[in-house]
Amino acid sequence: MSTMTTATADNAAHQKKGVLSGIRVLDFTWKTVGPWAPRLLTHYGAEVIHVERAGGFDDHRFAAYRSITTDDEKPNHVQGSKPWYTDPYFNTLHHGKLAISLNTRSPEGIKIVEKLLTKCDVVVENFSAEVFPKWGLTWDRIREINPKIIYMSSSGFGHTGEWQGFRSFGPTAAAQAGLTLSSGLPGQPPAGWGYSYLDVMGGWMGGLGLMQALLQVKKTGKGMYLDYSVTEGAMTMMGTFMLDYQVNGRRTRRPDFPPGNRAVFPQVAPHNTYRCTGNDRVGQYWWVFIACETQAQFEALCALMGQPQLALDPKFTSNEARVKNQDELDAIVGRWTRARRRYDIMRQCQNAGIIAAVVQSAEDRVEYDPQLHHREMHPVVHHPDLGEVQYEGYPVKMSRTPAYVHGRAPLLAEHNNYVYGELLGISATEIAGMKERGII
Amino acid sequence: MGGVYEGLLVVELADCRNQWAGKLLSDGGARVIQIEPLKGSPARWCGPFVKDKPDANHCLDYWFNNTGKQSVTLDLARKPAQDLLRQLMARADVFLESTRPGTMAAMQLDYASVSGSGGNKGLIYASLTDFGQDGPWRDYAMNDSAHLALGGTMASSGYSDPTVSPMAGKGGQAWHMGCAMVMHGITVALYGRMSSGEGQYIDVGIHDVCAMGTEAAVPHWMYFGETFYRQTGMHANAKRVPPLELPTADGKYVMAVNQGLNDRTWNQLLDWMDEKGVTGELRDPKFQQEPVRTAEYRQGTLIRDAIRKLVAASNAEECFLRAQNMGISWAMIRAAEENYDLEHYKQRDYWRDVEYPQIGRAIPYPRGPFACDDLGNEPRGRAPNLGEHTRQILTQDLGLNDAALSTLVAAGVIA
Repeated sequence: MSTMTTATADNAAHQKKGVLSGIRVLDFTWKTVGPWAPRLLTHYGAEVIHVERAGGFDDHRFAAYRSITTDDEKPNHVQGSKPWYTDPYFNTLHHGKLAISLNTRSPEGIKIVEKLLTKCDVVVENFSAEVFPKWGLTWDRIREINPKIIYMSSSGFGHTGEWQGFRSFGPTAAAQAGLTLSSGLPGQPPAGWGYSYLDVMGGWMGGLGLMQALLQVKKTGKGMYLDYSVTEGAMTMMGTFMLDYQVNGRRTRRPDFPPGNRAVFPQVAPHNTYRCTGNDRVGQYWWVFIACETQAQFEALCALMGQPQLALDPKFTSNEARVKNQDELDAIVGRWTRARRRYDIMRQCQNAGIIAAVVQSAEDRVEYDPQLHHREMHPVVHHPDLGEVQYEGYPVKMSRTPAYVHGRAPLLAEHNNYVYGELLGISATEIAGMKERGII
Repeated sequence: MGGVYEGLLVVELADCRNQWAGKLLSDGGARVIQIEPLKGSPARWCGPFVKDKPDANHCLDYWFNNTGKQSVTLDLARKPAQDLLRQLMARADVFLESTRPGTMAAMQLDYASVSGSGGNKGLIYASLTDFGQDGPWRDYAMNDSAHLALGGTMASSGYSDPTVSPMAGKGGQAWHMGCAMVMHGITVALYGRMSSGEGQYIDVGIHDVCAMGTEAAVPHWMYFGETFYRQTGMHANAKRVPPLELPTADGKYVMAVNQGLNDRTWNQLLDWMDEKGVTGELRDPKFQQEPVRTAEYRQGTLIRDAIRKLVAASNAEECFLRAQNMGISWAMIRAAEENYDLEHYKQRDYWRDVEYPQIGRAIPYPRGPFACDDLGNEPRGRAPNLGEHTRQILTQDLGLNDAALSTLVAAGVIA
């Protein structure tokens, strides 16, 4: 992967060699947590066929982000002439995939799904629990069609249990699992996560499930069904707090939790965000995070701030004392950072061995972060309608079977001819007929 | 039971960053040997502790993240310890480490040294570090919150007041994200090894991972040059929008995410509003037309105010259950531990008892994300005590005798 990489315009992700070359995935996912999982497989060369309804398109092709959070009017994100595939986040979620359209409400469309299932190693969806069975696609039916196939349903609550029909989005799942309540200031409303953490991380865990299943099927030759519940995955990310409750009876619903950016386990001080000079383009202050986990780091910070005597003050001589007096300590550190530039503070602290990190915005990471630049985390890919565009890369660097950003997001129904013609062997005349009948 | 990683030997150098990945390997059935310094993994000392009494064998963070592992203590500053680790690595399928770049090479235990001629060709060697193996910030000191700051989570999360600090969640989430990615690499490397017989080196930087995990923030900057506003309890966005995190009658909060109000949902919602006396003008027949109420929801205040009052007049659990039964994806902002009481997860056989003799009883652990017997992911017994398996592994796996062990103890190589 390179910042200068330009993929071919036909988006033939699957044609590049990767460790998962030869694996084919049928991707019915639409909301964020769904598309992430199969997208991960594209980095390893799997062929992922994303299905959208004939005559329509995923609402992710519009600004799904806005529609989820505000139910706002969907703005036309037009740089080129076709608004339905220029949404930024659609391009992130689906890059490297192929796209077809299909009317799954018709018996003829379902027959085509069944044919596709015989050609695929994996089928994945994140509809509500009732959708696939309504199409006749129960797990029993799916494995009858293809005994080696992996089927993963990705949902907020899973496909069994009394809440199986309940609906969930990233913010829903984070709220239910306890993650939302883990972020914020004590005595204030939960700050939560300013994006669907569980759509992102949930998708990554879903992707891991698919990879595990591919590994297992390669060993056993027997297909499997994964009932992936995002909230169940999320609770495993709060394990320490759940055990604290089980063993010590301490709840996370308590007056001093969440503790802002202060530390919980282990309790160390200073450990907080501090205001710096300046603000971002929309008037939000700039901040730097600083933490001292060792006595040496604290003494170095005192020296850096020009206040070496602080380390001798009984209020701050030990970590225990600092934790007890952290209101006062935070005020002292905050006075030091207030007039200083955030990247200067980070560099000076780091040079002295102190944990320090600028609270970086998207702009900061894309434009100024020398580490991400060095690691080539924002490759450029050609898009036929938008020209050359930057993408977010993939962070797993492998020596023998490198993972790539193979291509852009597909255009609407771009690969109908390849999938229906080449893969299923349907004649051009028949394909034209299917189009006329509204099947594709 | 079997498992996706059954039959594999994993050697893990104890660290807060990688321990969850080691747990996921153990959950899948791998035998995981964790190498700890003589005083224990740092994860044994972060707390919380049983009854808040610091003890290497009573740390609950360690208990959660190290189920099913075996613990071997080695002082890797000493050469005989390095040799013992080298022998274990020669037998391993996967090696997992998070040391500062250069540390392993200094001990001739880097990938090239252990997989080179006569070495373990099949070894999958995974380094999960703060910044990866190269780059200008490679040697910077970090912790979980620092990653959430530098990687972009904080910039999007916090409060609508632009003067208030950005926030990040607790629970080691940057490390979790890094572990998810390194597990992708390990799992596909195992897949590839089945054909090639060859392992490989995997380099994952937690900063790279966090930086690509902030959903739409980066694409929106790249495409439109937009900077997002933080908004209390909800998505950051390029423009300010009305709140969705709403206080309830019982002092909790509901996440009132709406996806559109069809006729059935709308009429049920109106009945609920009537019951609470907050319907206001919404019985006006014009709102029976979906486009009219959709426009009102987007641009007006009538529906949003009524929903706010409805939530304020209802308890959180009631909001969640009634809304969901109407097909609305509202959630209650729960505490993690409150999930233990929910029937739904019991019905799904989600909890797994793990016995802890230290407290004389079992603790229910989460099963993991997938209900899937074929993968067999679940905790495989309690976390080990410090050095619990040192003697067993050095004698049974490496063939050392008692005299050799005594020499190692005397030399401070093992405890």
